[in-house]
Amino acid sequence: MLALWSLLLPLAGLAGLVHAKSSSGDSVLVVLEPGLPKEDFSVFFSNLKEQGYDLTFRAPKEVTPKVIEDDIPAFAHVILFAPESKAYAADITPQSLVTLLSEKTNLLVAVGPKTTPLTSLASEFSLILPTPNTPLISHFPKRDTPATVIPIEVASNSLLTAGTPPVWFSGVSYALGNNPLLVPILAAPAESFASDSTEDSGADALVDASEKGGEGLWAGSATSVVTGFQTKDGSRVTWVGSVTLFSDEFAHKALPNGKASGNEQFAKDVAAWTFQEKSVLRIESVSHHHVNGTSTPDFYTTNDEIVYSVKVSKYDPKTSSWKPCTCRSDIQLEFTMLDPHVRTTLVADPSDPGSYTASFRAPDRHGVFKFVIDYKRKGWSSLQSSTTVPVVPPRHDGYPRFLSAAWPYYAGAISTSVGFVVFSALFLAGDVRDVKKGKGLKHE
Amino acid sequence: MPVAYPLPKDLSPATVANTASLLRIVALALISGAAIASRLFAVVNFESIIHEFDPWFNYRATKVLAEKGFYEFWNWFDPTAWYPLGRVVGGTIYPGLMATSGVIYSFLHAINLPVDIRNICVMLAPGFSALTAWATYMFTKELKDESAGLLAAAFMGIVPGYISRSVAGSYDNEAIAIFLLMFTFYAWIKALKQGSAFFGTVAAVFYFYMVAAWGGYAFITNMIPLHSLVLILMGRYTNRLYVAYSSWYAIGTLSSMQVPFVGFQPVSTSEHMGALGVFGLLQIIAFSQLIHSHLPSKQFKTVVLGSVISIGLLGTAAIVTLTVRGSIAPWTGRFYSMWDTGYAKKYIPIIASVSEHQPTAWPSFFMDLQFLIFLFPAGVVYCFKQLRDEHLFVIIYAVVASYFAGVMVRLMLTLTPIVCVTAAVALSELLDTYIDPQEPDASAEVADVAAPSDNASAATPSKKVKKAAAAASAAPSNPISDLVNANAPAKTKKASKSRGIFGLDTRIAVIFNTTMMLLFFVAHCTWVTSSAYSSPSVVLASTNPDGSQHIIDDFREAYYWLRQNTAEDAVVMSWWDYGYQIAGMADRPTLVDNNTWNNTHIATVGKAMSSSEEVAYPILRKHDVDYILIIFGGLIGYSGDDINKFLWMVRIAQGVWPDEIQEPNYFTPQGDYRIDDQASQAMKDSLMYKMSYYRFSDLFGGQQATDRVRNQAVPKVGPTLDYIEEAYTSENWIVRIYAVKKEDPLGRDLKSANAFAEGKKRKRTKPMTRRRAII
Repeated sequence: MLALWSLLLPLAGLAGLVHAKSSSGDSVLVVLEPGLPKEDFSVFFSNLKEQGYDLTFRAPKEVTPKVIEDDIPAFAHVILFAPESKAYAADITPQSLVTLLSEKTNLLVAVGPKTTPLTSLASEFSLILPTPNTPLISHFPKRDTPATVIPIEVASNSLLTAGTPPVWFSGVSYALGNNPLLVPILAAPAESFASDSTEDSGADALVDASEKGGEGLWAGSATSVVTGFQTKDGSRVTWVGSVTLFSDEFAHKALPNGKASGNEQFAKDVAAWTFQEKSVLRIESVSHHHVNGTSTPDFYTTNDEIVYSVKVSKYDPKTSSWKPCTCRSDIQLEFTMLDPHVRTTLVADPSDPGSYTASFRAPDRHGVFKFVIDYKRKGWSSLQSSTTVPVVPPRHDGYPRFLSAAWPYYAGAISTSVGFVVFSALFLAGDVRDVKKGKGLKHE
Repeated sequence: MPVAYPLPKDLSPATVANTASLLRIVALALISGAAIASRLFAVVNFESIIHEFDPWFNYRATKVLAEKGFYEFWNWFDPTAWYPLGRVVGGTIYPGLMATSGVIYSFLHAINLPVDIRNICVMLAPGFSALTAWATYMFTKELKDESAGLLAAAFMGIVPGYISRSVAGSYDNEAIAIFLLMFTFYAWIKALKQGSAFFGTVAAVFYFYMVAAWGGYAFITNMIPLHSLVLILMGRYTNRLYVAYSSWYAIGTLSSMQVPFVGFQPVSTSEHMGALGVFGLLQIIAFSQLIHSHLPSKQFKTVVLGSVISIGLLGTAAIVTLTVRGSIAPWTGRFYSMWDTGYAKKYIPIIASVSEHQPTAWPSFFMDLQFLIFLFPAGVVYCFKQLRDEHLFVIIYAVVASYFAGVMVRLMLTLTPIVCVTAAVALSELLDTYIDPQEPDASAEVADVAAPSDNASAATPSKKVKKAAAAASAAPSNPISDLVNANAPAKTKKASKSRGIFGLDTRIAVIFNTTMMLLFFVAHCTWVTSSAYSSPSVVLASTNPDGSQHIIDDFREAYYWLRQNTAEDAVVMSWWDYGYQIAGMADRPTLVDNNTWNNTHIATVGKAMSSSEEVAYPILRKHDVDYILIIFGGLIGYSGDDINKFLWMVRIAQGVWPDEIQEPNYFTPQGDYRIDDQASQAMKDSLMYKMSYYRFSDLFGGQQATDRVRNQAVPKVGPTLDYIEEAYTSENWIVRIYAVKKEDPLGRDLKSANAFAEGKKRKRTKPMTRRRAII
């Protein structure tokens, strides 16, 4: 009972301040490998709990609870803190993790310098991990920690709280492929490189690689240590090169300049983005109609004036609700049949928050068109909408009735008709007179 | 006058005439009945179902017409056809067929007969075939007499050449067009004979109906002017011709322009210029005749003649100039392919790929017309002997139609009526000669020419009728007058004959022979109709070992699967042959269909089918394709499948993308078209090959898999699919449906995504070089 109260009281107290929930669910499975006691991550986990997440812990080799059962994911989010585990229970495989993603589950994955099943999974996300046992090393700035424990400056990023102090990091960096779905969050410092930290045998390879122009060289700020990935289905994965980034030790460890590290805030921000709290947009509704109408027609006629509007809302983690989003100004609409015939910017409607409107003339081309919104911005959830509508040629009576250009033809038709009537009248009249004449002559 | 067999003498001419007339009506009714009945094999053997491909569209269009009314039909834009281009149906069809069914439907419902629209569509063709028989009777009657007309009607009723396009369920434009063709020609001949503006107008009205019903109306548009031109050149210009032609052309052309699909074509395309030119020529000739009749001066006549010729030349020059300048559309490719049979294959493969556009094989002439084809020349010779205006028409028709029937299989249809007519004329002449009871007078060899067939009997095919009719012709010439005639043969050549048949034996031999030929003809027609032309092709039939019929219903099975299991707006890609059926039976949007108006769109489908999966996938995504439907006959030996049509897909795609698709790549180095181990790489990679043989060898459980259509061994290791997945395969594997996979959520290409899902390790990659090495 006391335990319950101790849990509820802070929750109740914090509800008005930081209580936040994910837009996609609260259940979180934390897969912690046996070497990492959860007490070492108490700051991170308690922050999650405070935000209202429901954490379930499990070791990699435990059979229950299953992450996915009968193709239905059991949790909304999965945290994989097992950078050294070589073996998992049957339900966690690289393949099943991809299946989880396509079922809208979010993943927070920590990798380390050791080769694990996750190493091969990383390459599916266009992350290029260095050779095993080559952690990230930096000799700058001067400090009293080993070369593998590095304070990394946090560049400003829309996903992170502005002004986050540098974070402690100890793990691997990885190069990024050219997958557009990647969302870089934290780059490695410019002076850092990946190398074998225990012996110097790797140094030659490093020199070789750098002489070859950087091929095979994991070095500099082009490599990344924390990277997000947003799948086309909308689920998010974050790959973190170091599990210790989330640890209590680093959260409390002072920076070389003596200030507090940014690890706690950074971990919260990363979790918030990964678990669909931040930068989550969705389309509430789309509508289209004629400029002068309000109802949605079944089809448009070529050259019609069309109004298309879309309502976009953004998830507000503070109140756990969807709020109209007027925050975007670059959403575009395409009117497409095979190729876009019209591409125009959707302008926010000041009278109706969250509503974006575009008005345009339908092309002079009949066919089955689509209103397409395909909005993809790094870090934001993508907005996709496609509404099919046929554009038909005018009806038989939809054309202009009288054309001034056709007057020669009208004149021709009218004159021929008049001529025919006159001719018939004259012919008939003349015929009658002739007959009468003949008859008259006979009688005479 | 000797007679070969006794005739009843106590019959009044009125009785004979009445009996003959009644028998004619009865015969025509029986012919109509036979025509309709023989077309019902399809319904009896299978069921009341729409056949083949085009009828499915006509049926669907008719349903729209019946449900929504004419104006909605006229403005119908079909967004599900030619996705995403859509099809303006109202402006791209000949609405005559649908309008006919719509009228019949409304009429039956107005008199409270709630007949299903499908049954009207199914039974329309047999119904109209009865009318065709009647029109043929009327036409032939104008050529010779009623007996020939009845024969022609009987032939027309059951001849396979026409049945092939008009069995119950074959709901196509040709079903009503042949009736309209024959009736227009009948009205034209009647107008020409009588110089009647009324019959000219009737011809024009039926011409309009024909234009509204079938693209083959161009045949009439050119036949009638050709006939008129020949008459003019032969110096047979009369005011009758002027009246008939002018009334037909003016009214017919104006009304034909009311059909939206035809529009201004009658005044702007080369196909119609002949009719316009002859119209102009007739005006000039009529004018010169008028002047000639008023001013008989010889000098003036030459002046007029000169001016007439120069005006004619000027008119021709004007037409030529307009054609060169492009105001008049030049001849279309379809027209050129009529004269050069290799033209279509070279330049418009899409036309050549249709089986009914292939040149006709000799056996099909016998198959479709049997002994009529032998009588056909005899009938034409008879026409030459008579050579009145209408006989000229038949001769021209016979020549032109023979040529066209040799060029294209489907044009056998236009040849069939004239073969029936001429064969009937020839046969009727033969029977007239041999049934005529009068024997020639052996002594009277003075007579010069054989009498023309003015006294031809009104014989009808049935023996009884023939006898009666013979009696009718014989009755007026009673023995007394015969005697008188015999004594004075020079006086009336008509009554006595210098040529003829003696005795009964030859008569019986010939007539027996002819009767047997007719009987065999009936047997042949029945056999051909029941075995070859009554298959709906939507449903196939085979015979079980015990002789019972086994129905192969894969098409409907698969189409209903689509209808029941896919989203309503799921786009189905297939080769264009199946577009109408998918739209009609599965009710799903299709990329291309049998209305082959957009070559590029068809070539796009051809490219997708003949490319590898990687190349095809972006095409499929761009066109929102959800399912791909193919026809595969390799398991049960259905030869009309997509692998056999595949080369046409390649050719059509090559016409648009010559750099990407090349036909020779799909052959083995030896130049063979193979699907076994020796198949070329392009063939094995193509989507069509992969879809056809996907999991095919698994079916044989380790045995050697054999394709029964091509009689080749299928490789043991079948193709694999990454971008599409099998969704459905029908019972006999005739129809296979594949679903197009969604894009990978991780943005990988589906091939590597599949490799990952199967647990294959990816090759390790290294960071890309971002800067050059400093040396």
